[in-house]
Amino acid sequence: MTTAPSRPGLSVLIGLAIWGGLLLWLSLWMGRQAYRWLPVQASSAAPLVDGLFSFETAVATFVFVGVVSVMAWVILFNRAAKYDVSDAEPIEGNTRLEVIWTVIPLVLVMAIAAYTIDVNRQIGLIGPMEHLHGGAGGAGAAGSPQAEIEVIARQWSWEFRYPADGVSTTELHLPMGRRVGLQLRSEDVIHGFYVPAFRLKQQVIPGRLIPFFLTPTREGRYRLRDSEYSGTWFAANQADVVVQSEADYQSWLRRAAALPLQPGLSDASRDYALRQSRSRTSGYATVAPAPPPMVNVPGSNTLPHDG
Amino acid sequence: MTITPFDPGLSEVPQRQPEAPNGWKRYISFNTDAKVIGIQYIATALLFLLVGGLLAMIMRGELITPAADLVDRTVYNGLYTMHGTIMLFLFMFPVLNGLNNLLIPVMIGAPDMAFPRLNAAAFWMVPVFGVILMASFLVPGGPPASGWWSYPPVSLQNPLGHLINGEALWIVAVALSGVSSIMGAVNFVTTILRMRAPGMTLMRMPIFCWTALSAQTIQLIGLPALTGGAVMLLFDLVAGTSFYRPEGGGDPVLYQHFFWFYSHPAVYVIILPVFGVFSELFPVYARKPLFGYKFVAAASLVIVGLSLVVWVHHMFPSGVPQWMRDLFMVTTMLIAVPTGIKVFAWLGTLWGGKLRLNTPMLFALGGLFNFVFAGVTGIMLATVPVDIHVNNTYFVVGHFHYVIYGAATMGVYAAIYHWFPKFTGRMYYEGLGKLHFLLTFIGTNLNFFPMHPLGLMGMPRRVSSYDPEFAFWNVIASLGAFLLGVSIIPFLLNLVSSLVRGERAPANPWNAIGLEWLLPSPPPTENFEANVPTVISGPYGYGTGLPLVEHQEAYERALQQA
Amino acid sequence: MTLIPANFDPGASPAESAGHTADHGAHGNHTLTGFIIFLCSESVIFLAFFTGFAVLKLSALQWLPPGVEGLEWRSPLAYTVVLVSSSGTIALAEWFLKRGSLWGFRAFWLLSMAMGALFLYGQAIEWAGLEFGFTSGTFGGCFYLLTGFHGLHVATGILLMGLMLTRSFRSGNYDGGEQGVVAASLFWHFVDVIWVLLFLLLYVWPA
Ligand code: HEA
Ligand code: HEA
Ligand code: CUA
Ligand SMILES: [Cu+2]
Repeated sequence: MTTAPSRPGLSVLIGLAIWGGLLLWLSLWMGRQAYRWLPVQASSAAPLVDGLFSFETAVATFVFVGVVSVMAWVILFNRAAKYDVSDAEPIEGNTRLEVIWTVIPLVLVMAIAAYTIDVNRQIGLIGPMEHLHGGAGGAGAAGSPQAEIEVIARQWSWEFRYPADGVSTTELHLPMGRRVGLQLRSEDVIHGFYVPAFRLKQQVIPGRLIPFFLTPTREGRYRLRDSEYSGTWFAANQADVVVQSEADYQSWLRRAAALPLQPGLSDASRDYALRQSRSRTSGYATVAPAPPPMVNVPGSNTLPHDG
Repeated sequence: MTITPFDPGLSEVPQRQPEAPNGWKRYISFNTDAKVIGIQYIATALLFLLVGGLLAMIMRGELITPAADLVDRTVYNGLYTMHGTIMLFLFMFPVLNGLNNLLIPVMIGAPDMAFPRLNAAAFWMVPVFGVILMASFLVPGGPPASGWWSYPPVSLQNPLGHLINGEALWIVAVALSGVSSIMGAVNFVTTILRMRAPGMTLMRMPIFCWTALSAQTIQLIGLPALTGGAVMLLFDLVAGTSFYRPEGGGDPVLYQHFFWFYSHPAVYVIILPVFGVFSELFPVYARKPLFGYKFVAAASLVIVGLSLVVWVHHMFPSGVPQWMRDLFMVTTMLIAVPTGIKVFAWLGTLWGGKLRLNTPMLFALGGLFNFVFAGVTGIMLATVPVDIHVNNTYFVVGHFHYVIYGAATMGVYAAIYHWFPKFTGRMYYEGLGKLHFLLTFIGTNLNFFPMHPLGLMGMPRRVSSYDPEFAFWNVIASLGAFLLGVSIIPFLLNLVSSLVRGERAPANPWNAIGLEWLLPSPPPTENFEANVPTVISGPYGYGTGLPLVEHQEAYERALQQA
Repeated sequence: MTLIPANFDPGASPAESAGHTADHGAHGNHTLTGFIIFLCSESVIFLAFFTGFAVLKLSALQWLPPGVEGLEWRSPLAYTVVLVSSSGTIALAEWFLKRGSLWGFRAFWLLSMAMGALFLYGQAIEWAGLEFGFTSGTFGGCFYLLTGFHGLHVATGILLMGLMLTRSFRSGNYDGGEQGVVAASLFWHFVDVIWVLLFLLLYVWPA
């Protein structure tokens, strides 16, 4: 970053090279670490998202540590002496440098953008993230497979219906390794369908039927979280997602269909009943939760989960 | 340089007025002096920083354990909604308008704002809507609890059915805040465009004025859209219309567009003046001219343009079509370019300088550090698939507190320390200032860094309880927050004790270049009065030996005598 | 906006501030700059409402409330003509003022006010005769919101003009031209242009 017209000396060039090399090495290392900060990968979208995130972590490290190391350098080596009140050398600018540091970030962000658009397209192919915009929506794009599971979001419970099998639950079961079609619907306010292990999220907007596709790739138990603030018990509006092999999934469906209906999972209704039974509450007004849906399998909110 | 004859007008160069007319009472009256209004804004804003901060302390107290145990869930929801609203509309915007009022007229050599009465009226609306907003704690049903976005249909639910409810008060307060800000913006833009000292062309204007001009332009374009959207929300809430009610054919996503069309640019309204502060402070404390003035000035305008076309990045999971996602991702990423130009210009300014690490400089450096961190997480948020994963998680909360507290609020602290001697006539205590910096810098990183791993793991924001796997990082975040709570003590102590018994400040304690430093501390009501200097060179001439104005020595001599 | 007059000159001429010392309540010379900036900002509110209208209309399954066939456009068209021509009469008033004919100014100024009032009257008649209300779906909401908000601007314009008219009776007041008059007339043109757009949106755009 010398601006003097004289050529930079050899030692400066070597110093720059070492700095750049260290920076690059650190960025690549951070890029690899990035995978460890994320939950397990349980859908076909997850590796794509994680790959992108890892790349971004590397670029971000490069930019951040690059800037901070320059700051550290000047703080350490360019301090004014205690009683020195003189000014420094008045360098007003350098057009060549300006061009360089306009072009480099431009190239970097466009590289990220190109990578992202590619990931977008791939995720789109394995399960479209695209949805109707405006309008009170029909039942999904023509040619897409029929939704086999209906997801109903309420204040504050999740209900999952398997119409072909006559099953209804508050615990989502999905077959592994196959593209599954969901149909998201809200009965009151906007909710968000979010499974961190799948890296997928979609606002569930009342008045619209939203087709949603995903391919689970790992057996296990994961958390489904409401991701769009939906009122008082928003935080408690969670459910489990169980991914099983196709055979286990089918036998679970058969067994579930035989179970009698019972009130499903709804922490909100339980809390609300408790609240109503007290003469004084310590809080502000709230809308009443919808009654728990009647389901064959209620599931639980306290089992250990993988992500 | 030619020797200019002594200008007789200069014999009346303003003298310091130790006791300004009607003393402290003018700070609680309808005063039209921009310097009084500036201090009124800043004092009001700091008061609300304490209120908003106190709510944050309760929130962090709740979040230190996984269960919802400290306060009722309804209370938590009210707290975070009020925290966000107070911090933005009653702390951040007023404090920045305070800086605008103090700095713009003196920096451009104007005696006052273009419309002093409008200016005072705009200020007095702040306590008015402040009271309206705080009153929502007292109405039946409690304060608004639908987040600072107030997305319908949640915001329309109104469980008690009263006409006067927390949400309605919220909308009225936000709308009034918008009106006040538009009044301010008209004033600032007119003043900058029409009242500059002779010789101060746009390209000789201090960068702070460029960034203020840019930020206020955004206010003028964006705020009306929010106001329009809010009016429709209010009618839905109290008059039974159905603009956003799905059951009546309305579209809740339409509101999201209105809201973000303003509220995204609003973040640049916040950060641009802080860029201005950085650009003013680095040259002073590195004793070097600002590197690439023209580029830094132009970058502000580019940011204004881009800021108006990126709002959909807050709505990626709302069901917007793929082409929109790709388009708005690219525009969002482009903002890194003009912003990078500024960051590198600051580094170029620091490089090879003679750095003086006093409190304002420390806050500016710390702010820059936090800003770049927040910037790179912002770029991650801009990329759709990653945003889909971390949207509405603590990753976002971490991103924006790094920038809004770590960079913007720290930049505001830097500005307050830097110009404190100028406008109060007193020096602050350096030791307390450095302690404030240290606690703030450590507290900020301890508080807001852990939010990133939490978000990546999938912890949603706006929750009063969470799964136990998130407990570890939340404890650290809460401890950091309490440290921030403590950090405010040396700050307040410093302000109060310096005001009361600080050393008298000279006119130019930092040996800085700028019209404001050619005025006594504090400047008289009419600033330069009839002796407005003629500007003959660009700002930041450190080390060049060029005078800023005609008859510079005469101005300096007069200050010395005063 | 093409309404910006020649003396709106943002970049240049910073020299003027040297002159100001006294009279800090009113800086007449900046009023027009400030007012134009304000109008640009105000137009964004209308833009927001127009966009909302278009989005809701385009996505509606059922736009008009049940039983409503469409809007009657003939008499609104007549009132539109009245309002639009008042832009001409107000320009005439200004022309008289420039020529120094105070009475010509007052006559045409008052005429413009009357035409504005007539428009408002027409609006009131129309509102009274409609079979749908503010809460009749998104259409009803949009219709009353847009016409009501615009009507509020017309009323404000008339008030502003009334203020200028009374001021014209203070002797010597308008000798050097008057920025308030220019501002009021700019506002009036603005209100007219908005109405034309509104008329196209509400009455011409097919249901
Ligand atoms: C002052 C406030 C401020 C500022 C300046 C920014 C700056 C940026 N923000 Fe942030 N943001 C907020 C405040 C702010 N933000 C708030 C309050 C929210 C949440 C609101 C809510 O939901 O409640 C939010 C949310 C938010 C989201 C939505 C996330 C979601 O809800 O899912 C996104 C997505 O794109 C985003 C992106 C960005 C980007 C790209 C920038 C860029 O401007 C950053 C540019 C800067 C840099 C990149 C660093 C410097 C540049 C260089 C050193 C050059 C080289 C760099 C590269 C090559 C990368 N922000
Ligand atoms: C200018 C804006 C601004 C500022 C400065 C802050 C400052 C802080 N915010 Fe901010 N915050 C927002 C704007 C801001 N925030 C917004 C817009 C939201 C989103 C709201 C929404 O989702 O709708 C949000 C949300 C938000 C959340 C997420 C809530 C949730 O999603 O559930 C959290 C959680 O930790 C948080 C914490 C903090 C903390 C600890 C500070 C600290 O920096 C505060 C520091 C200040 C003080 C500490 C001064 C006060 C101190 C005292 C009065 C006395 C000290 C008391 C003790 C020591 C006990 N904020
Ligand atoms: Cu303009 Cu005084
Ligand atoms: Cu944004």
